[in-house]
Amino acid sequence: MTTSASLERLLGAGPYSLPQKEKRAILTERVRELSCRHYECCEPYRNIVNRIFGGPQTLDFERLEDAPFLPVSLFKTRELCSVERAKVVKKLTSSGTTGQAVSRIYLDAETAQLQTRTLVKIMQHFLGVERRPMIFLDHAAVVRDRYSFSARGAGILGMLPFGRQPFYALREDMSLDLEGLEAYVEQMKPGPPVLFGFTYIVWQYFVEALEQMCRRLSLPGAILLHSGGWKRLEALNVSMEEFRRRVEAVAGIETVINYYGMVEQVGSVYFENSLHCLQASIWSDVIVRAPETLEPLPHGRAGLIQVLSALPSSYPGHSLLTEDIGVVEGCDNPATGMYGKYFRVLGRLPKAELRGCSDTFQRTVATP
Amino acid sequence: MRLLAPAGPSTTVSDLLTLPPATGTPFAAGPQATLAHLSTLILQHPRLRADAASVALAYWLRRSNLDRLAQAFERRRALEPETVFVPVGRVFHVAPGNVDTMFIYSWALSYLCGNQNIVRVSGQNSEVLAHLLSLLSSLMQENEELAAGNRFITYEHDQAVSAALSEWATHRTVWGGDDTVKAFRALPMSPHASERAFASKFSYSVLSAATYLRASPLTAEKLAAGFFNDLFWFDQLACSSPHLVIWAGSPEQSDSAIRRFDTELEKEIERRGYESDPSHTMHRLNYVFNLSCDADLTVDLTQKQFLSVRLLDGHPWRKEICGGGLFMHVRVENLADIATIAEQRDQTVTHFGFSREELELLAQAGGGRGVDRYVPIGDALAFDVIWDGYDLVGDFLRRVTVRMGKYDSQQ
Repeated sequence: MTTSASLERLLGAGPYSLPQKEKRAILTERVRELSCRHYECCEPYRNIVNRIFGGPQTLDFERLEDAPFLPVSLFKTRELCSVERAKVVKKLTSSGTTGQAVSRIYLDAETAQLQTRTLVKIMQHFLGVERRPMIFLDHAAVVRDRYSFSARGAGILGMLPFGRQPFYALREDMSLDLEGLEAYVEQMKPGPPVLFGFTYIVWQYFVEALEQMCRRLSLPGAILLHSGGWKRLEALNVSMEEFRRRVEAVAGIETVINYYGMVEQVGSVYFENSLHCLQASIWSDVIVRAPETLEPLPHGRAGLIQVLSALPSSYPGHSLLTEDIGVVEGCDNPATGMYGKYFRVLGRLPKAELRGCSDTFQRTVATP
Repeated sequence: MRLLAPAGPSTTVSDLLTLPPATGTPFAAGPQATLAHLSTLILQHPRLRADAASVALAYWLRRSNLDRLAQAFERRRALEPETVFVPVGRVFHVAPGNVDTMFIYSWALSYLCGNQNIVRVSGQNSEVLAHLLSLLSSLMQENEELAAGNRFITYEHDQAVSAALSEWATHRTVWGGDDTVKAFRALPMSPHASERAFASKFSYSVLSAATYLRASPLTAEKLAAGFFNDLFWFDQLACSSPHLVIWAGSPEQSDSAIRRFDTELEKEIERRGYESDPSHTMHRLNYVFNLSCDADLTVDLTQKQFLSVRLLDGHPWRKEICGGGLFMHVRVENLADIATIAEQRDQTVTHFGFSREELELLAQAGGGRGVDRYVPIGDALAFDVIWDGYDLVGDFLRRVTVRMGKYDSQQ
């Protein structure tokens, strides 16, 4: 395992324990290290730094804003890996509808372990050290193929170690197994449970399902963790507030925590703070950039979200420009009891709908 | 299947196929007046008036241009005194999905030639398309002849409908791309029918680096304005929009010329206050990152609204289409080198800085391999009755030979 002073310092601290200025200095050093590492070990990354960012001298950046970045879509079109194939222990793929390209992320033991370590610390911050009964608002089949699984499966597998007595509340046809769930709640070990699921699945197959059955659950003290973007809920005109309100109404769950993460940066996830914003941990940070010029924007201005992570050493995913639009809302706010930047995701940049010659019938988007 | 003009409820193929037979004479006064009226309506329409492509269409449909087309037809008749020109009959047009105004050009020429027309427009939501169709619909309410012989429809991919319309047609015009053309080629037409297909095309620009460097500020500004239109209309996805900018000259000349060219384009974008769709910015960015993994290039990400990628000398060219305002600068030593890359799918070469002789030589050398038109920068998207090398008016007409025996006059 490579030793890195900056990484050691980050791993030695609590997820929200460093004031932004201090954290930033260490994270910048770490991102610099990772950039140099990938420049050496990953040819496409090296080509990009040379051809787009002006060569290796740019790797000596002072400000985090000056670190080279990759658009997140590149993991869909290129194999980006900085270790020998023999060292890859896990390949993550993003979920994608049929026919769409998926991201492929190659993890070696070191990166996989780092992801787990930091995720544990972030989870424990919110869920406590004691492992609680865990209810997955999904069905068990999504985690079957362990070498290569979907983001949904990966999310669940990532969660498994944080709970005990895992229970899958949905049947394979996505119907809610209410009897099974009630029986589980009846006999589960003491301590309120943690429920976990993808936002739209929680909404459609749990909240709406319970509402349609006119049934209510009582899960006082339970925590619902959910993630996966608001696109589908936005389409249904459901706000975050309404989501929380209706979860509480049907299941009695008062603590609903959204988080923002992506298969390209597992581990350094952003959990919702008490202001209902997403909070960066010391292992990650966000920069918001103007969509037109890519210039970094000050707090309060909406733009493209760039995510930085201290973890990825087996693939060049430490600095990524997403297609999500967001806004940094503040930093080191005492009201949250946490240090670091926090932000909101406002939505996703619409896909370029470029109509080529060849789409009288087939709709093709011009991508290489 | 939806009937778009004349506006009506959903319709069936059998209803469509009962159009009264065309009795039209080519370039009759009625259709000319109708099209000139349509031109006025487009220019009076608040939304269409603001759309550059619609204005270009209206300009093409104006009375004086129709007169020119009619005069060209008269010349054709004069050249062929033994020919009586009649409409080809029933024309099925399959319009492209990427250029909203194209269906009108194709239809208008055929209508001028006196044919019955069924025009399939692609069902994509485009405001411009909707406005144009509603103008046609309203025209049809007051114009029986127009309403009787023309149908504008849309339907999702449906082999049965396409097959029936192909069977009906005496001429089929497919504006598509390769896939659409292939799909239609599989559908038989009447053994007597003819077809014209327009497949996927690739277009580029060529400039003389030395001449461009000598060009006056005004010329450089005009070229930037022309290139702007060629590039940004239809999001650079019209068949004739350029994707490569090829410089003929030495490396030093090309370097300076490229810098000037990009700066001029930036100034033009500024003058027009043009802002590209943010999703296009991302699209360009994704494209160039992916490209740079294996192509030796330089690029300046701070360019706004467009990206000009510089492919380094010696790197194999890519005839790839990104769209949304991305083009690649490449260099050749001499204009003649371009002939070696000409392919059948090459359509429009927009040019600056060469003599007519040089371009004619190039056209000859490219010859059977490719390139359909060499036009000045700024004219890439100007519609022409010769398209992809074919004579559209000729397509929409049938020549009937009337030759007299030598004894006839002695009777």
